[in-house]
Amino acid sequence: MERVFAVELKIPDNEAFTAMRALQRLGVAVARVQRADILLFTGDEGEERLAASIERDERLFNPNKHRLEHVPSAHPREGEVWIEAIDAPRSLPMRRLVGWRLYDNAGKPLGNDDLDAACARLLCNPAIERAIR
Amino acid sequence: MKARVAVLVFPGTNSEEETRDLLVDCGADARIVHWSEAASLVYYDAFVLPGGFAYEDRIRAGAIAAHDAMLDAVIEGAQAGKYVMGICNGAQILLEAGLAPGTGEIRRPTAAFTHNAQGHFICERVLLRRTVPATRCAIAAALPENLLIPAWAAHAQGRLAAAPAHLDELDRDGYIVFRYADAAGATDAHLAPQGSAHGAAALTNREGNVLAIMPHPERDAWNFNHLDRREGSDPLAPSGGSVLFKSFVTALERL
Repeated sequence: MERVFAVELKIPDNEAFTAMRALQRLGVAVARVQRADILLFTGDEGEERLAASIERDERLFNPNKHRLEHVPSAHPREGEVWIEAIDAPRSLPMRRLVGWRLYDNAGKPLGNDDLDAACARLLCNPAIERAIR
Repeated sequence: MKARVAVLVFPGTNSEEETRDLLVDCGADARIVHWSEAASLVYYDAFVLPGGFAYEDRIRAGAIAAHDAMLDAVIEGAQAGKYVMGICNGAQILLEAGLAPGTGEIRRPTAAFTHNAQGHFICERVLLRRTVPATRCAIAAALPENLLIPAWAAHAQGRLAAAPAHLDELDRDGYIVFRYADAAGATDAHLAPQGSAHGAAALTNREGNVLAIMPHPERDAWNFNHLDRREGSDPLAPSGGSVLFKSFVTALERL
């Protein structure tokens, strides 16, 4: 069984802002970018125990600047892509990915074509990463 | 007239002064150019991208800098035959920009210097040996055969990675200009301290006018860098890794 959590900044996310500006410069029609660490666990551990263990691990979570969200599905949502390093050394007992959620001017999740363009032009280096949609 | 070399500075660059100083000591008219001065790059003969953490490595090391307006000028210059050298983070930027190895489209990377196999930062003195013919890369052409160049591998992301077939192509077609070597000059993949594919320390492009080198020769480039230097030697005299910079300037003088 897979359980997924998103660790997101609750303070301004400069990296997401930089990504938005860079994507706009590349012609991608994005108006807002949200970024999160996606933590993907496999096993029988319960949701509450996993959440508690994440919140205790300072490598993953700082309550002063992060919020923790349980993601109901093990797949990216609409307008979202998860980027995973293909062969990065792993020191933690789960998969750790970067989730990018992109929104258009109307506040709606970005369409597939624009999301593809964002991945190909900036968010994913296919030599070392895979984009999960 | 001395060759004019721009040493590019992005927010987060941290090795620009020693890079500029060494280029000057090797005979270039080298100047630091900040990201807000991109328009001035057209007046330079060559570009050097020093180490550091451009744009805090946001998204990936080198990813944002590769799309900076400064890189527009560097890409245009490289395509016109100007010499471009990137060191450490500068090398990562050149790979993200698609200038090295340059086998794909511009700004569509086909390889990367990425996370070390051991999963953490390393800082150690290494030796490099050119393993391609002198004619393959103009920037390294003036180096004597089999010379061992000292440098410092100081990075968390210095492992060359790409699709296995592409790595084999880079190896076979002479894109790997320098490899990690032992004191006897032997090169072998296991000598790469971070697990870099094929023991690669530096890549060039097809034309040989771009060099992306991961370890820092400029941190082992004056006598004062050497604890074992001869007594009475001038501490400010260039030595060690300065030979690569001298070769870079020699290449510019031959243009």
